[in-house]
Amino acid sequence: MDHRPQAWGRPRDDVFGPYDPSYLQTTGPKTATQQPIVTGTSVIAIKFKDGVVMAADNLASYGSLARFTDVKRLHPFLGHTIVGFGGDVSDMQYLTRHLNELAIDEAYDHEAASAQSGGGSHLNAANLHKYLSKLMYRRRNSFDPLWNAILVAGFDSQGKPFLGSVDLRGTAFTSPSLATGFGAMLAQPIMRKYAATEGDTENMTRDEAVRVVKECMKVLFYRDARSLDRYSLAVVTKDGVELSEDEQLEQQSWAFAERIRGYGTQTVPSLSGSETISALLALYP
Amino acid sequence: MAAMFSQNPLMNGPNYSFSDAPRFSVPEGAREHRFDPYADNGGSTLAIAGADFTIMAGDTRLTSGYSINSRYHPKLYKIGGTTADQSDATIVLSVVGFAADGEALKERLDAICKMYRYRHGKPMSVKACAQRLSTILYQKRFFPYYAYAILGGLDEEGKGAVYSYDPVGSYEREQCRAAGAAASLIMPFLDNQVNFKNQYVPGSGEGHNLQERPRRPLTRSEVEVLVKDAFDGAVERHIEVGDGLQMMVITKDGIEEILLPLKRD
Amino acid sequence: MTSIGTGYDLANSIFSPDGRNFQVEYALKAVENGGTSIGIRCKEGVVLAVEKIITSKLLKPGANKRIATVDRHIGIAFSGMIPDGRHFIDRARDEARAWRDTFKTPITTADLASRMGGYMQAYTLYQSVRPFGITTIIAGYDSPEDERVDGEVGRGPSCGAGGKVAGKTHGGPYLYMIEPSGLYWGYYGAATGKGRQAAKAELEKLDLQGDSLTLEQAVKEAARIIYVAHDDSKDKDFELEMTWISGPDGPTKGLHQEVPKALREEAERLAKKALEDDDEEEAKEEKKDDDKMEE
Repeated sequence: MDHRPQAWGRPRDDVFGPYDPSYLQTTGPKTATQQPIVTGTSVIAIKFKDGVVMAADNLASYGSLARFTDVKRLHPFLGHTIVGFGGDVSDMQYLTRHLNELAIDEAYDHEAASAQSGGGSHLNAANLHKYLSKLMYRRRNSFDPLWNAILVAGFDSQGKPFLGSVDLRGTAFTSPSLATGFGAMLAQPIMRKYAATEGDTENMTRDEAVRVVKECMKVLFYRDARSLDRYSLAVVTKDGVELSEDEQLEQQSWAFAERIRGYGTQTVPSLSGSETISALLALYP
Repeated sequence: MAAMFSQNPLMNGPNYSFSDAPRFSVPEGAREHRFDPYADNGGSTLAIAGADFTIMAGDTRLTSGYSINSRYHPKLYKIGGTTADQSDATIVLSVVGFAADGEALKERLDAICKMYRYRHGKPMSVKACAQRLSTILYQKRFFPYYAYAILGGLDEEGKGAVYSYDPVGSYEREQCRAAGAAASLIMPFLDNQVNFKNQYVPGSGEGHNLQERPRRPLTRSEVEVLVKDAFDGAVERHIEVGDGLQMMVITKDGIEEILLPLKRD
Repeated sequence: MTSIGTGYDLANSIFSPDGRNFQVEYALKAVENGGTSIGIRCKEGVVLAVEKIITSKLLKPGANKRIATVDRHIGIAFSGMIPDGRHFIDRARDEARAWRDTFKTPITTADLASRMGGYMQAYTLYQSVRPFGITTIIAGYDSPEDERVDGEVGRGPSCGAGGKVAGKTHGGPYLYMIEPSGLYWGYYGAATGKGRQAAKAELEKLDLQGDSLTLEQAVKEAARIIYVAHDDSKDKDFELEMTWISGPDGPTKGLHQEVPKALREEAERLAKKALEDDDEEEAKEEKKDDDKMEE
């Protein structure tokens, strides 16, 4: 027994090495989110003449590990808007809780307003997009960003289909089709082929928009290593949000992989030095 | 091992670390960050002042890296109107650089102009607005708005006025200014075509005897052609510029907005 | 009143020698002056109805609602002093939000009743405050489904027991009434305000503990009871305000909502008809009596 009470309960230096008191410091730098931890990959969406279609797969990755395979990244808001989240999943959870509170408060106000005027105006998708962009921009200003890329789909004040994007820096913009993350590289060109302008979207049917989005999800699954073949698909129209959270990619064809070296299961035969050179020359004439 | 089971801690037994003090200290409020709060969203803007008008222009492309985020994201904002559609505004602000900062800057300036109008019962003059914009920018000197702003309107005498800024609020009134990604491509063209730089009267002499071409204010139609040509050139040579050309013509009768297509490649 | 002049009614937090808190009893008087409120609980859900007395022709019909939503699945009606009721609702909404912040799940009706009961009771303890001049009826439908935690992203394991007991259900319709003293009980049917005696008598005639009453019938009964409880001779006009909450399979999908206009008007039509029939019967009886007299 040590006669110094101060020593009781402390790790012994000879066993554990000298204790590093920096762990006890209380006045260190404030550490805000510095990188995303558990992440979702692309969210994609395209407008059509009566609304918007949005999709995101159900995977949450931990680095390269496919950690959670049943994660819903599309969230309806007040029954007429859909919000899709890419990036950090915990920040997404924070935001969805926040939006849930906002929706409840909004309903209180709506209850009061509609009784007075016979139909108050709900917070629409364009309003929500503005709100989220201000929220994200405020967080970037305090160097504590919410590590997400967000798509908001629904209708604007004129009753026209609305599709907008916000990222972790608060950069907000709209477009006939939008994609976050990997989707911006792989899906956006495909969607733009069908909806290059607002005018194109006004001629696009719902079925066509759904087909394009499904096609894009397939391309993303082929090429995005952090993606999954199970995904959520949401369609927003004047009638509300139709959300299906258990879609499965159909009619996949992996034939293309056969022809790509390093993609499939080809084995590399061991070659001698001169053989290697001639094999390489054959590959890259 | 012997030390571990010693019954005499003072002599040769284990020792304990008592010091709880941090080994290093960090200045109060210092933050370590790996987060880069800025982005460059490309695009270009341009403003030319005429005798009784000002033309502001900007492309509508919004980029991040090699990606086009949006083909229609206006960089020109009417400032200080009384309605949501700013139909009675008299001042135009253009911002290029980091889009979120640009948006925030516009909202700040617009709110201030509106407050001015409510308090004084008259719209803010361009001159006052220009000074105020400089102050807003400088207030964030140590975490600047990454935005190159140009403010356009008509001065007290009804002449076209263009004020250009750097991100921390240094500003001057100019005849013309190009900002943003393709500023270095457009500005020399403007120097030559608006201020007639390096243009001389033919046959006026040699060397120091050469006479500069006399400057004259350009007409509105001349300026419109100039703006279109400037942007067509910029689109050809700069990947971050294109999609659409937004022009605002400020005259004593109000602000006229013109949208023209640019190459989308 | 025996309390007057004794001094025991001058402040809250002072008992009279026979163990009464007169301030609370006076608060009850305020409730008794308010328009009638009732709540009916049946197997499929809960109905709230309020007799909203029109105090001025200058008020817009249908405006100034008296029944409020708390969270999404709870409704609160009250009789008595309206500003007190408004404050009570604000507080209930704060409680519901605080519950969500802590537990990431909607507050149950029982928990809200408990917290609000505690809140009311606190206003009977101190010199510096007066009790609420309201009696409130809290109606809610707690989700019988597996409630997802707010922000929850997955569905959890698809196999395994998951702590569920087969055949055991939870959630369902709830109805509570809180009095100015903070006293609250759960009820099958609750009534307060001016016409509570008549309303209670009518409620007792209904089979509220069995399965027989459907939610739509409950709406019609509620309308009828408010009409029965209304005293034509004392009060001028009134508006009938009704809300309902069903389970997730019912018409409101677990949400507290206003009863649709068509159904409310139908219920009002039936209520008026029932009243007229009663009057006719009474008239006939009287006539019979008169005939007998003549004989």
